[in-house]
This record gives sequence, C-alpha cells and structure tokens, in this order.
Amino acid sequence: MSEAASAPAAQGRVEFRNVTKQFGSTRAVSEVSFSGRAGSIHAVTGENGAGKSTLMKMLAGVHVADAGEILIDGRPVSFPGTAAAREEGVSTVFQELTLLPNLTLAENMFLGREPRRYGMLDRQAMRRRSRDALASIGIDIDPDVTCGDLALSEQHLVEVAKASVADSKIVIYDEPTAALDGPGTEKLFRLIEEQKKAGKLVFYISHRLDEIFRLCDTTTVLKDGAHVATLPTAELTRDRLVSLMVGRELAQMYPPRATKAGGAALVVDGLVARSGRPGVSFGVKRGEIVGLAGIEGQGQRDIMRAVAGLAPGISGNATATDRQGAVFPVGSSIVANTRAGIGFIPEDRKSEGLFLSLSISQNIALGMLRKASMFAAAVIDRGRIAALMKQMAVRARDAGQAVASLSGGNQQKVMFGRWFSADVDLMLIEEPTRGVDVGAKAEIYRLLREFTENGGAILMTSSELTEHIGLCDRILVVREGAIVAEIEGARATEETIMTPALTGSHGERAAA
Amino acid sequence: MTTTDAISKPDAAPPARRLWSGVKALPIAYVGTILLLVCAALLRPNLLQPFLLLLILRQTAPLAIAVIGQSLCIRILSLDLSFGGVAMAVSYIVTSGMLPYPAPVLLLLSVLFGVAVGATNAYFIAIRKASSVMVTLAMVLILGGVVTALSQFRAQGDAPEILRYIGQTRIGVVPVAVLVWFAVLIPMALFMRYSVFGRYVDAIGSNPRAAGTTGIPHVKVVFVTHIMSSLFAVLSAFLLIGFVGFGSATIGVDLALNSLAAVILGGVTFGSGRGGMLGPTVAAFMLMFCFNLLTSFGLGEPGKQMAQGAIIALAAIAYAAGDRRR
Amino acid sequence: MIAILPRRMGRTGLGVVSIGLPILLFVGLSLQADNFLQAQNIANINSQITTLLIVALGQLFVALIGGIDISVGSVVSLSSTLLVMVDPALAVPAALLAGAVIGLANGVGVAIFGVHPLIMTLAMATFVQGLALLMMSGSGGTVPEALIWMAKTSFGGVPVSFLWCLAAVAVTAVLLNRTRFGLHVYAIGAGEQSAAFSGVRIASTRIACYVICSLAGSMAAIYLTGRIASGDPTMGRPFSLDSVTAIALGGVLLSGGIGGVWAALLGTLTLGLITNGMNLTGVSPFFREAITGVLLLVAVSLHRRKVIGI
Repeated sequence: MSEAASAPAAQGRVEFRNVTKQFGSTRAVSEVSFSGRAGSIHAVTGENGAGKSTLMKMLAGVHVADAGEILIDGRPVSFPGTAAAREEGVSTVFQELTLLPNLTLAENMFLGREPRRYGMLDRQAMRRRSRDALASIGIDIDPDVTCGDLALSEQHLVEVAKASVADSKIVIYDEPTAALDGPGTEKLFRLIEEQKKAGKLVFYISHRLDEIFRLCDTTTVLKDGAHVATLPTAELTRDRLVSLMVGRELAQMYPPRATKAGGAALVVDGLVARSGRPGVSFGVKRGEIVGLAGIEGQGQRDIMRAVAGLAPGISGNATATDRQGAVFPVGSSIVANTRAGIGFIPEDRKSEGLFLSLSISQNIALGMLRKASMFAAAVIDRGRIAALMKQMAVRARDAGQAVASLSGGNQQKVMFGRWFSADVDLMLIEEPTRGVDVGAKAEIYRLLREFTENGGAILMTSSELTEHIGLCDRILVVREGAIVAEIEGARATEETIMTPALTGSHGERAAA
Repeated sequence: MTTTDAISKPDAAPPARRLWSGVKALPIAYVGTILLLVCAALLRPNLLQPFLLLLILRQTAPLAIAVIGQSLCIRILSLDLSFGGVAMAVSYIVTSGMLPYPAPVLLLLSVLFGVAVGATNAYFIAIRKASSVMVTLAMVLILGGVVTALSQFRAQGDAPEILRYIGQTRIGVVPVAVLVWFAVLIPMALFMRYSVFGRYVDAIGSNPRAAGTTGIPHVKVVFVTHIMSSLFAVLSAFLLIGFVGFGSATIGVDLALNSLAAVILGGVTFGSGRGGMLGPTVAAFMLMFCFNLLTSFGLGEPGKQMAQGAIIALAAIAYAAGDRRR
Repeated sequence: MIAILPRRMGRTGLGVVSIGLPILLFVGLSLQADNFLQAQNIANINSQITTLLIVALGQLFVALIGGIDISVGSVVSLSSTLLVMVDPALAVPAALLAGAVIGLANGVGVAIFGVHPLIMTLAMATFVQGLALLMMSGSGGTVPEALIWMAKTSFGGVPVSFLWCLAAVAVTAVLLNRTRFGLHVYAIGAGEQSAAFSGVRIASTRIACYVICSLAGSMAAIYLTGRIASGDPTMGRPFSLDSVTAIALGGVLLSGGIGGVWAALLGTLTLGLITNGMNLTGVSPFFREAITGVLLLVAVSLHRRKVIGI
C-alpha cells in the first residue's frame, strides 16, 4: 500500500471503505476495504460467488452499496446508474454481453452517449468513431453490421472497444477472456497494457491464475463476500493464491473418489446437440461422477441439455439403464426423463431451478411426485422430507419456510433434495456449487458422493477446474462441441485439462 | 466458515404489529367486503336484509363459478378473457332452436363445445406460445361474430325448463343456483389442495422455467386448466340463461372482466404461486354487492364499467407495489 | 437471445409474409372485384385505413419495448366524445390532454409499479370506455367545422386523409430512426438489462412510449370524428385489437425490439385490403369480425415467444 500512497498525482485512485451489499438474506459483499492506484492493473479474484462482480458493479453504477463508501481520488461517490459512473470516468466491460442484437455495431458502441447534431443522431460521427475504436484494438468490422450477426468472440471484442471509446480513467473488465479465442485474448492484453501506460486504473476480474500472474500488478482476493488480502502479485505464488481463494486445503474439501464402478447408467452414442457440431459418444457408469470440462461456451452445456431433454439433440442416441436393469431412451423430453428417473439441476438455481416463493417442502415434494398421475392425490412423505433436511444439514426454521429466504448454499441443497427424495438413478448437474459458500460446498460434495456410492450416477459440468479435479472420477474435455480428451480424475491437473481444452491435442494423455 | 448461512430470523415484532402485518397480507377482498357492508349499514341499510343478501348471493353464483376458472388460469400465469364469447355461443346453442334436439342433448353439446374452446385456447397458448390475452380476445371476436351473424337468421328463444329450474327455484330459502355454486366450489377447492395437479399449478405459477427443468408437464397443465376454465364458463352461462329465462346475445359480456377483477381482489397474483379459492370467491360476492350498492346510488352501466376498470388497476398496482417492497 | 433473432431485414421486421401478403391481396382483389381499382375505391381504402394506421403507429412504439396497449381504442372513444362536448376552441387540446394523461397512467403503472401491461391497459380500457359512455350515451354532438374540414378536404385532388397518413408516418419515422429516443426504444426492446448497463433510462423511455400510443389514439379520434362529423363514445372499440393485429401481420415482434414504420404500414394495408375485399364481395359485417379474430390468432402465433401464458 505504501507504494500507492507515494504515487505522484494519483488521478483515478479508487478506495473501497467497508463496502457492503446484501441481496435478500445473502450478503454478497461484506465490509470490503482496499484501494487501487492509477497506472496499474489490479486483479480482483476469488471463487464463483465470492462477490467479485457484485463489488465491481457498485463501482460501475449497476448496484448501490448498502453500507460503506467508495472514493475516487479521495472523493466519495455514489452512482445511481451506469451513465453516472461513466461521467465520473468509470467504464465497464461486463461479463454478460450487453450488446443488443438488433442494433448495429456503431449504435451499440454509442448507446447511452450518442453524438448528436441539431438534436438528431449523428450517425456519421458514430460510424467514424466506431471504426477508429475498433482499429485501435486491431479489428476490422463494418460498423453498420447488426450485432446479432457477429460471432460470439467478435461481440466480446466489440464490447471491449465500446468501453475504450469512453474517455475513462478507470476501466473494469469482468472475466473478459471467457469467450475469447487465443488471438482475441492477445489483442485484449495489448489494449490493457496500453491503458495502464496511459495512467488508467484497470480492475481485472478473473479466476484464471495464468492471466493474473501475467498481467496484473496487484491482486485482491475475496472469499464469501469478504476481503481476504490485497498484495502485490510479485509476492504471490500460485499455491498461495489458491489457498487464499479457497480458504482451506483442497484435500479437505472433497470426499474420496468412487470405490466401485457398476454397470452402465448412461450411454450416449453419436449425439449431435446442435447443428454444425460433431457427434459425441460417452458413457457414465453407476457409482461414477463424470465431468464435462473445457473453456466456457464450447458445447458442454448443449450436450448436457440435449441429454436432459430440454433442448433435444439433432441426431444420435442416448439410453439410460435404471437400477433394475431396464433400458430406456433419454433426451426426447424432460418430462419423460424425469418420470424415468433422471434428475436435472440447472446452473442458475434462482431463475431455472427453484420455486422461490414456495416452501422447502413444496420444492422437495415435486420430486416425490415425479411418477404420479396429474389427477391423483399428492402423497407426500413429510417424515422423509424432515429426515432429508437433517441429513443435508439444511439450515432453516422448518420445512414450511419459503426457499427465497434461505442462503445460497441451503437453496442449492433444497434443489438437490428434490432429486434425492425422488430416488432418481442419474443426475445431470450443471455447476453443482455456483454461488455457494465454502462450507456448503464441502457438504454438497459429500452428498453427491453419497448418492453415487448408493448406486446413483452423475454427469456434471463446472466452470471451476478445481471442482472437476477434486470431485470427478473421469473428466471429458470438450472443445468445439467434440470430446477431445478423457482424463482419470485422480490423475487430472489444471494443465492436463487445459492443454486439450485450448489446443484439442491429446498430447498430455499420451505422455501420461 | 458458514457465516453467510444466516437464516432470516422469525418475526420478533410485538403482537399488535404482527396482527397488522397479518391483516395486510390478507386478500383485499376480505377487508373490502367488510368495508362495503359497513358502508351499506350506514347509508343503505335495507340492502342488508336477509332476502336481499340471498338475492345478491344468487346473482353472485354465475360470476363465482367463472371466477374458479379464471383463478386457475391466472395461477398458471395465463388468462381467459373468452368467457363472454363462450356464454354467447352457449346461449345460442341452447335457446335458438337451430339444433333440433332435446334439452339434455343441447346441454351436453354445450359442454363439448366448452371443451373444444378450451382446447383451442390452450393449443394457441401452450403450443404456439401466443399471448393468452390475445388468443382469448380473438376467440371472443370469432365466437361473437359467428353467433351474431347466425342470430340474424334465427332469434334466440326460451331457456330449457331445467335451466330455469336451476336459475329461479329455491330449496327452502336457499336458491338452487347457490347450491350448484357450492357443489362445484368445494370439490374443486379440495382437488386443488390435495392433488398432484394442484401442486403443479403452484409450481408453474411460482416459476415456469423451473417447472420446465423439474419435468412438470407444463403443456398438459395448460390444456387441462383452459378446458376446465371454459367448462366453468359454460356452467356459468347455464345459470345466467336460467336467471333470465331466455337466450340473449349480451349474456355474460361482463363475465371475463368481472372474474379478472375478483381474482385479483381475491389475492391471486401473477408469479407468486400463491392463491386459494376462498379469496376470489369472497371477492366475487364483494363485486356483486358493490355493484348493487352503486346501483342504489343511481350509478348506471358506465359507472359500473369505470368501477371495474378502477378496481382491477388499483388492486393490480397495490399488489405489484407490495411485491416490489418484498 | 442472439440465436432466436430471426434473419430479417435488420430490425425492420419486414419479411416475405409482411411484404408479400398485401401485394397478393392487391393483385387478387383487382382480378376478383371489378370496382376495386376505381379511384373512388382506392380513396375509400385510404380514408378507411388512416385511423387504423395512426393507432397502429402508436401501438408500434409500445410493441417495440415489448409492451402492449389495449386501451388505445377506448382513448379514441373518449377523445371523440371530448371533441364534441367541450368548447370548440378547447376541443383538440382537451382530447390530446386526455390521451397524454391516460398514457402517463398506463406508463407509470407498467414501468414504475411493474403491473403487467396487458392487465394495466385492460383495466384502463374498461375505465376509459365507462367514462366515455358516462359523458355521452350515444353518437351525436356537433363537431367543430375546422375538424370536419381537416378530415374531408382535398388539395388538388389529393385527399387530406393521404396527408394525415404521410404526416403520421413521417413523424414516426423521424422519432424512431433519427433520434436518441428511438434508438433507446429499440435497445430496451431487445434487452432491458443490457440497455440499462449502457446507461439508457428505462422507466422514462417506457412511459414515453405509452404516452405516444395514447396520443396517437387521440390524433386518430380527431381525424375520424371530423370524417364522420359526429362524436361517438364507442367509436374506438375495434382499434385496440385491430392495431395489434395490423402490426403483428406486418412483422413487428410483439416481444419487442423488431419492427418499424414500414412493418406497421404494410400490416395496416393488409388489414385494410382484407376489410375492403370483404366489403366489395358482400360478406356479412359480423363474419368480418370473426375473420378479424382469426387473423389476430394467426398474427400473434406468427412469432413464437419463449414463455407460455399471458
């Protein structure tokens, strides 16, 4: 910190003082204090749900802090909207794409700060200035093209260019490389370096260690919404950073791996999840947890949802075998899947997974009713629900409490409880622990392992490599919709997964 | 390290405040009904005579039956504004004499007609994924247009004996129509409370996307709900025809909007997954009582329309504002 | 969101159906009905669709932000009664003021309180219709001379109704394509959250759209009341649903973000030609209503939404 204090004319210095943000009963950010200085690249890191994005969104004007204050150049600021933040010189590249698919590139670039002549839009100026901004980061796209027609990686670069046209002294990047390819990433890094040289303060949200060590001067680690440390990156090692992020040794987090693998639970043969993608074939055995890993957006989710019957595949076959040995087709519809004993856990529990306004018991009971006829009486085993809540250590007043009032971890457990109570044979899980604190994570891992030890099988995706490495028995690496590598969980490392995920080569496996 | 696992604490507020917040959580209809009764006691005490109250109750029966259907639709985030069209068509089928069949066959035909309308609505809403308001309003245009065009060739006539019996007779002091109403309401309330279907409805109302990932047969539920809704409209039309004693092209024009108002007043709100049968039922009575009161003050048809609109808008705003705060 | 965006001509909403249908109807009618192409009939079509076009252009703004306004027909009715009931000098301002207030109420209910637009505008439709009937129970009244002139005169053979259409289209086109407000309307329709991230003021823009729609209703009433030279408290009844049908037929996406002046114009023309065709071929006006219903069903199921329900 002493370094920052002695920096000359620290224009663009940002200080967070006891900043707190609460969503319902969850504290997303809890009394965070640290500061960043001009002319530096400042990493903000932590696991999923650590509060990185929420914290930065308060600086960006998306959220307003519930308590504490944010100071820019020593002056407290509070932004009611992104426009206000931009006026103070804060521009943001959000993780979510904010480009509107029906507007042209130039219109998107200047949305909210359109140049005008005689009160009308100055389209010529918009076009000219967009072309310049795009050229400055080395891309050449027609500014009149409709953004919905651009490839995903192009859209992300445009997003970056959009933030750079604003004359800002503070730039926030939220996981900017998630959807970029290699050359795109290089362009972005060059731009960020230039912004640093120009004396700007760059906040770089990421949980990719490589990028942090390569790019950032200072690193702030958050965990469960709280500030853990702010240190010069040079003083950190990879192991130290990971233990700061996770807060405990990895070995303690994860249960032991499968003791017995049984017969086939799921067999997927030549499944084409989306047109233009290759067919994939793989299997999951009873007692096994299998992970679909890879860079985000490479098709793991499509495969998952095709098997789940939510977005039925184009062609190919998938069959499941239940505990009694009956074989049945899967993936034609989620209703049939569920009746047959396959539970699906979506990645976004609030919008897709839970019935927030309903009680814990109502949420879980829907699983118990999976085979019932619509016109039959709903037979609910309340004793079973109570026992399950106890077994899962759900912290709640009683089973009648609305799910909305639970913390993220407990909500996640309720979602799993629905399928545990339904005695399903196979679970398809997207992101088993997104936005869940570390304690609840360990409990969820234990529950999942119990499920497979009792004869269940799990196919999962996760954006956290550590989760794949710690939990899975086998890891299938997906790249451009194809399975490019299969790695035994016990032998997997970040490198053995990332190499095929990035290059598609099986080199690592041959070496092992 | 599970500090963020905080559970929201049980209310530690004093009993008086808890009572107040309990009252605030009640459907507007309960408080509204009491206020109206008090208002009537002060200004128009003769409205509270038992025989008049029974008359209002009889008047409420057709609306209350339509309200059952409307509340089901709203609970699955849909809406059925086709009641008026259905009532018009049923009136034509039963009273025009266009179809040369005995009364029971005509009533059966009306029921089948209700199933067809409900299924058509559901097809466009669930399969074609068109807006339920647009679909059911289009249905009113279609049914209304066809019936009016056909009525040019043959005017509507007298109601069958059985409908007049249901509409106009009493058993003891209780009108048969009221008995019919409760004979439908009570089993329906029990069914919604104890069946798998009821649970599906709550789930879809709370979060339709989650219902999708949980394997709930959303499309089937929409079909069943809209068919039920149209059937309730048919039954409601039977009662209305029975009251009036003959068919008419304006029978039931108010049903759709009044039922919507009653459901909203009765505490069934969009997207909450909550809502019972009692609230909307009380609200149906409240509306009818309110219209009678307004009539006694000399307010005509336009005034009633304004009241309808204002009630729906204000109740919807009140609930929406309440949800925002939560 | 990007994947579901159909490949159309940009965000105009125009496609094979919306362009082809009116052409097909035009050709079909000119072959089928001998008097279709007569100047008198064409002028008739023009003056018949003028009212619907003005309302549809208003509805377009609301549809572009993913909303809907089914109270606009009642606004037409109320404005018509006001035009004949208040002092002639104040008639037009009174009608416009009524439109603005109703639009503001709709907008605030939807954008500030979060009431579903269908519920809010349905309630408003009922209330305003009641108010119109309260003020005037049947058609009649004396329409100010100036209004009659404004709706019926012609300039060198060009009927004034054509100029009304031209003006309405021009104003809408400028608002949508040349101003910041128009760009924000499209942005909100495609993604409210993203638009907010970019600094677009969501609530005020949405409210403005409802106000514009209601004002369009008042303008339509000013034209139509002048044309039939009498006030009518139920004059606007068909326009709410017809305007939605028209823009949906023209390719405007009712969930927002896609559509434009041309789409609204072509959709209105399609509906106008169908009505005219039925007139010429002597179809019962009541069946015409039923056919409008069928068209509405077709139009709203043309573009499949993601959600089931209201």
